[in-house]
Amino acid sequence: MEIWSDLSALISALGSQDSWTIRQALVPNTTYVFGAVFLAISGFLLAWIYHHVPVIERYFERTVMVTCYLATAGIIFWGVIDRFVFSNQQPWSTTIPPFLFMIMALFGGAYNIRMRTHLSFSEFRTAMPRKAQFACLMLDFILWFVFALILLVTTLRVVALSASNFQIVLGTDNTMQWWFLLSAPIAATLMAARAVENIQDDVSNLRSGKPLLKQAVIGGDV
Amino acid sequence: MDNGTLVTLISVGVTFLFMLGVPVFLVIAYWVIGCSFVLGLTLDNMGAEILNVFNKGFALLAMPLFILTGDLINKSGIARRLSDFAYACLGWLRGGLAMASLGACGLFAAISGSNSATTATIGSMLHPEMVKGGYDERFSAATAAAGGTVGIIIPPSIIFIVYGFLMNLPISDLFVAGILPGALMVIGMQLACWIICRMNGWGYLIPLQFNRVLKTAFGAWLGFFAIGLVLWGIYTGKFSPTEAAGVTVGFCIIAGLLSWLISRLMRQDPNRTWEEKSYGEMLVVEGFTLWQVPGITMRSAEITGILAPLIAISVVMQQILSLLGAQQVIGDFVTSMGGYYAVLFTAMVIVFFSGMVLESLPVTIILAPILAPIAAGVGVDPIHFAVIFLVGASIGFITPPYGLNLYVASGVTGVPYFRLLRYTVPYLVALISVWIFVSLTPEVALFLLPER
Repeated sequence: MEIWSDLSALISALGSQDSWTIRQALVPNTTYVFGAVFLAISGFLLAWIYHHVPVIERYFERTVMVTCYLATAGIIFWGVIDRFVFSNQQPWSTTIPPFLFMIMALFGGAYNIRMRTHLSFSEFRTAMPRKAQFACLMLDFILWFVFALILLVTTLRVVALSASNFQIVLGTDNTMQWWFLLSAPIAATLMAARAVENIQDDVSNLRSGKPLLKQAVIGGDV
Repeated sequence: MDNGTLVTLISVGVTFLFMLGVPVFLVIAYWVIGCSFVLGLTLDNMGAEILNVFNKGFALLAMPLFILTGDLINKSGIARRLSDFAYACLGWLRGGLAMASLGACGLFAAISGSNSATTATIGSMLHPEMVKGGYDERFSAATAAAGGTVGIIIPPSIIFIVYGFLMNLPISDLFVAGILPGALMVIGMQLACWIICRMNGWGYLIPLQFNRVLKTAFGAWLGFFAIGLVLWGIYTGKFSPTEAAGVTVGFCIIAGLLSWLISRLMRQDPNRTWEEKSYGEMLVVEGFTLWQVPGITMRSAEITGILAPLIAISVVMQQILSLLGAQQVIGDFVTSMGGYYAVLFTAMVIVFFSGMVLESLPVTIILAPILAPIAAGVGVDPIHFAVIFLVGASIGFITPPYGLNLYVASGVTGVPYFRLLRYTVPYLVALISVWIFVSLTPEVALFLLPER
């Protein structure tokens, strides 16, 4: 019954919109159970949306990544120009870019799951029989999903902790750190969705007799 | 079962996952998760630390920016001009095109900071020409793979940034210390290349023409300017490595956009050879449009999306290793070897063999905090040791079974992985010779840092 009481505590905490209460509600380990259910639902739902709205599938993560990348470069570039030409520098020009980098890296991590471009030693897998290859792909799915779950729960706790401590981005007056940190649990959800999408493709390839493994090319989809 | 047995079992288990083709990121992550359970640690540390690596590290930001620089100079046509210049200088020698390819890797590496970007760019540009020029395709692919190793030694360098970030060493000093060893690596590989090409009679010779050298040098001025900008900024302390990266990105975008505009206004034909082009035409490169910038950035973002999470999880792994006492065990082993040279060579052997089975970033993140203090303890200068360590890590890019550059070269040239291994051997011999020379001669790394 503990699980239900923890669940009701979490729901009421979310309803209260109070960061300290949410932080307390996220502490029990039953949060992993809720996280797993949430990821399973949101992962499959997002994979379904990706399938039916290809524009989102193709451009959502890419847009976030490119925007954060260019914003990071732009802020740093302007920071140098500002210092040399105008003898001035915005105090946040060195503190906001790392957060943008974090968003780009985490969303990039999710995007690379879909592209299957995360570094791996695939020589043995390529030489395996078809069923063994599928088993390896299933293993990848499970490992990504469980990792996404751990990332979701642990980073949600960090977000709640940051919000309850009113952590402000250095060099700003009122920009909260948790606004940026929230991108981590969102990226975890995207990772789960990408893993679901991949395994759906793998099952379909297994049934249709298409090759299960393809040569992944970094930047091949750009 | 005691903790030691459990950790061994976990390590064997994740090695098995690695052999099954599970991504390296997951392999490390599950090792961390398993060991956290063994040590009774909360997993919250993992999530918090992954975020901390990014949002507490302004220095680490130089990494994505230098990756982007590499893609920008490639797409703008600046990289092509640098390789044309290298060929004009070296084409009169037997194996000149292959040697030019290595020289172009060195020049490209002086603007970009990535080994795989160097291999991919130079390999895809010069491999078709080398095959047309009578070189064995396996040798050509191996040359691109080996040339890429200098990508992380000649400044700017991603891995120097990570090393400096971890070990709290001035990244500017590390960059400067990498210049001469990086140049020696290029020269060493060129020598090996020349010997192989002479033995096999590969390549066509072109006459050494002063006009060609001058014109191609003129054509590569944007590249030289970018190299000068990075080195000047870092060497004089005008800006930090991260700012240097930001400035170079800004410069490359502006240069690319302006070049596209000017080349259209001048109605330039990109297919014309250097002989047909005037000096005025050589001033501008092909460039790119504003609409192409997101596409170029996306490619860099994809690479960053692979490397940055890997760095973050490796930092957590390093913390767990410290808690397990690995630092003590490896430290005792290395220290027990004896004095200065014994410790140095034991550390080098550990780095070399780790580089064979692991990606260079985890090797650096895991081993540097263990080995560097021991080396410092026997009197090795920290900057000198950083160079020794990272030259060793860079050699790991072309050592099987896990040699990242071999995969990249295989991908861009279409030569199967196992077929190009044989031709990496001469380059490995050259690189290891340079590595030993650099380790025995601290002056090579520290010559440009007289205050140390």
